[in-house]
Amino acid sequence: MQPTIAPERTEEIDAGTEHAPDRPWLVIVWNDPINLMSYVTWVLQKLFGYSLGKATKLMLDVHQRGRAVVASGAREKAELDCFRLHAHGLWATITKSD
Amino acid sequence: MPSFKRASGGAIRARLDARETALLRELLGELRTLLGAEIRADPVVQRLFPDAHESAEEANAFRELIGDDLAAAKRAAVAKVETAVGSEGRVSTLLSEDDAAAWLTVLTDIRLAIGTRLEVTEEVMEEELEPDDPRAASLDVLHWLGWMQELMLRALTPLPER
Repeated sequence: MQPTIAPERTEEIDAGTEHAPDRPWLVIVWNDPINLMSYVTWVLQKLFGYSLGKATKLMLDVHQRGRAVVASGAREKAELDCFRLHAHGLWATITKSD
Repeated sequence: MPSFKRASGGAIRARLDARETALLRELLGELRTLLGAEIRADPVVQRLFPDAHESAEEANAFRELIGDDLAAAKRAAVAKVETAVGSEGRVSTLLSEDDAAAWLTVLTDIRLAIGTRLEVTEEVMEEELEPDDPRAASLDVLHWLGWMQELMLRALTPLPER
């Protein structure tokens, strides 16, 4: 036991978490067997203003790989994006990027 | 047969015959019931109100944060479709783009409810079920609603020129 070292260690951990807000939150859409591909593409265009090409690529990623990151940003924005995706029936979650 | 076509002025002309409208009306009533159900254990309710986080603790915290907002948004969309569908007869009405968007999300929620109840997979969605399969009738409704969505999407977003 070397209690005198402990405060330094704690400081180190604190310094690490201070950088955490810089890591964006990711908005992930998951594949589901029910939603139509055309509908998912339309939702991504409508909610995020993506071009048809970008929305189609993301939709295909969801369909073929099981999931895709469709947006990222501060926690509050990611939560709002997730809420809007849920309001449109897409299966979405948010997570902090590694 | 349902029909959704772009009319002059940008509105969408929606037409459903009396039988189709009656079925849609019944499905809207069922969706309203589901949106008011606070049965978290029901997979259908879980699919309509998914967890926003993979960790259960954070998902519950987010659920408390948004409170009734998600259900309210879904009910508002149902109300728009109910207005267009009316209480009797067929549908023949003009929808704004906002209305059309509400139709798309409501048709989606009904499809999610039916599909989740049937536990459909991508294979089931693509195969033809035997007529005596107990899931066949519900699956027909699921595909009919999907077809309406496709027609609505085509009316909303003209295909790019080739």
